[in-house]
Amino acid sequence: MSPSGPRHVFRWDLDKTYLRTDFDSFGDLIKSAIETAADKKAYPGATALMRALRAGDGHRVCIISGSPSQMRTVLAAKLALDGVEFDEFVLKNNLKNILRGRFRALRAQIPYKLPALLESRAGFAPAPGETLFGDDAEADAIIYCLYADLVAGVVPMNDLERILLAARAYPDEVERTMAAAERVPRGDVVRRVIIHLDRRSPTAGFRRFGPRLVPVYNYFQAALVLYADGLLDARQVLFIAFEMIDSKQYQLPILANSLQDLIRRNRLAQPTAVKLADELREVARTAPDTVNRPDLPPFEDVARAFTDRVRELKGAPPLPWPETIAPLDYVALVDEEHESRRDRRKRGAGT
Amino acid sequence: MQRIVVDAMGGDLAPEEIVKGAAEASIALADAEIILVGDAATLGGILPRLRHDGARVRVHHASQHVEMDEKPAEAIAAKPDASIVVSAELVAAGEGDAMVSAGNTGASVLACARRWKLIPGVRRAALASVYPTELRRGDRNDPFSLILDCGATIDASAEDLVTFAIMGSAYAGLVSKNRRPRVALLSNGTEAGKGPAAVVAAHQILLEATELNFIGNVEGLDIPRGVADVIVCNGFVGNVVLKMLEGVSETVVRLARYAHKEKLAWRLGLMALSSALSQLKAVTDWQQYGGAPLLGFEHLFIKAHGRSNAHAITNAIKVAAKAHAGDLCGHIARGVADVIARQRPGSPTVEGTA
Repeated sequence: MSPSGPRHVFRWDLDKTYLRTDFDSFGDLIKSAIETAADKKAYPGATALMRALRAGDGHRVCIISGSPSQMRTVLAAKLALDGVEFDEFVLKNNLKNILRGRFRALRAQIPYKLPALLESRAGFAPAPGETLFGDDAEADAIIYCLYADLVAGVVPMNDLERILLAARAYPDEVERTMAAAERVPRGDVVRRVIIHLDRRSPTAGFRRFGPRLVPVYNYFQAALVLYADGLLDARQVLFIAFEMIDSKQYQLPILANSLQDLIRRNRLAQPTAVKLADELREVARTAPDTVNRPDLPPFEDVARAFTDRVRELKGAPPLPWPETIAPLDYVALVDEEHESRRDRRKRGAGT
Repeated sequence: MQRIVVDAMGGDLAPEEIVKGAAEASIALADAEIILVGDAATLGGILPRLRHDGARVRVHHASQHVEMDEKPAEAIAAKPDASIVVSAELVAAGEGDAMVSAGNTGASVLACARRWKLIPGVRRAALASVYPTELRRGDRNDPFSLILDCGATIDASAEDLVTFAIMGSAYAGLVSKNRRPRVALLSNGTEAGKGPAAVVAAHQILLEATELNFIGNVEGLDIPRGVADVIVCNGFVGNVVLKMLEGVSETVVRLARYAHKEKLAWRLGLMALSSALSQLKAVTDWQQYGGAPLLGFEHLFIKAHGRSNAHAITNAIKVAAKAHAGDLCGHIARGVADVIARQRPGSPTVEGTA
């Protein structure tokens, strides 16, 4: 850690963001609860990414998950198995909620995560930048953007109260969140919100959250975005790609398609992709052992696959993504999220 | 991994429904890459509105496309960057494994014929089509029989008919999971000596030089009965047969509509039958089946119906992926090579050289 305090904070959700978890049915919940650390599986590339981020000078990794705090031992063991170090690990005390008969709180995300984020932030006097990782299974996009706007001082306090009431927060949760929001140092510090598309939700649905939020299909896309943000170097992007290929769930063409998808969606600029390719060529020249592995295609093939995907678009203009956005109506967003969660429950499926 | 090239601009409902179908397939198929060929900006505008796996969908820009009513040869000559031409080129260049299009049939077949090689021993390609039958077949209980050729080769020789039989049998084996498909020649009588010379000669080769489950000749009335799983004929006959069967179906529907209007008793009768009729519609829905495979080339082309919606396109992509995963073209090549090797000197051959 940098002696002058953290320079950048990475906040991670766990289930469906870092860990491949199914909790769409009661059976899934039971399975998830009794799994050992070794049984739990991280998404390909997530481990390499989290390790790379933690390795950066002044980088801090904070985990805020909706998993019950009774799972702390097994989750911490899983992170240790993966070689992932963290600075903060917040879990939800669901046993306490059950004992107090607060059943609404068992599923509620906003009244739990928002104060946890704000309280964690309140500990930092200087203003490090933040990158937040969540997923499309629940309300992460709303929570993270609301948090970013609160810290930036864009959301008035009386609006916050309305939002919390819409989110079915208990009175003490409202009070706690309002207090944390009052205390938090103001600043436009959330640089990026990365939403892992576990449900493969249409990316157009996230346009309303503006340019700060990037929905990604996998962690290679996340690595590309963070490379563009200057938080990862070319070699780290390569290691994340290697981990994904090693998982046998990804092949080189799939990673190349991931790059093309980001370019088409205007979430990665073509010149950035070219710069990455140039830097990787330099890595291949100066440290050939780093990139040439017997179990992987030769580096030149890798470079060609990526270049070809960009060329295939033949200069077609990417989809315009809003550069600025109007203030978000969080009450409407929370209502909409409740509605869609109810629909999903009615359908009885996770999708 | 199966790489399925999809002509995103071909079809009455293109590109919206084609892209939707491809998007669904990108989630449904765990080990496939869908290559959408068409206007990159248009496709890039549609995809974000759909649930899909962005890592499994690749877009390849093509600036032109062939309209459904264009003359195939002229359109292909005038539009070298048409999506169907570029799709066929991608497969020929090894960038894709199979192709799907709901576009102009003539232009699609021509694009394949000009860019793809025929399997060694196959002289003519065949377009196969499915027709609903009374009997079901294979592990999938398919209520369809396969008829080929339906128009790719107007005048087929005995050797061509034999290769069609091998191709149809291989396809039914893989796609319908029918281990021993019953193969028949379409003729004007069930006796071996009945029919034109090519059919008689093909009958002899199929009996003597193949290990197909050849059941002999069938007549037109045996097609809807489902006597055979694969029915072989030349493209002229196949096309006439299919059009006639379609015409009969349409006439039945028109008669039912007439009955519905004419008498209350008939209307009540139809209403009583309505659930059975909708079940029949579901069973015989061509959209479930994917499309018509063009067989005989070193690569597979699935010609989806021009009116294909997203569901039909998803199924066409699934069929293409399944056929490629099962090495359909390899099966056909081995089947044809086997027949050539078994030929007795002096007898009719699939190469026509004896």
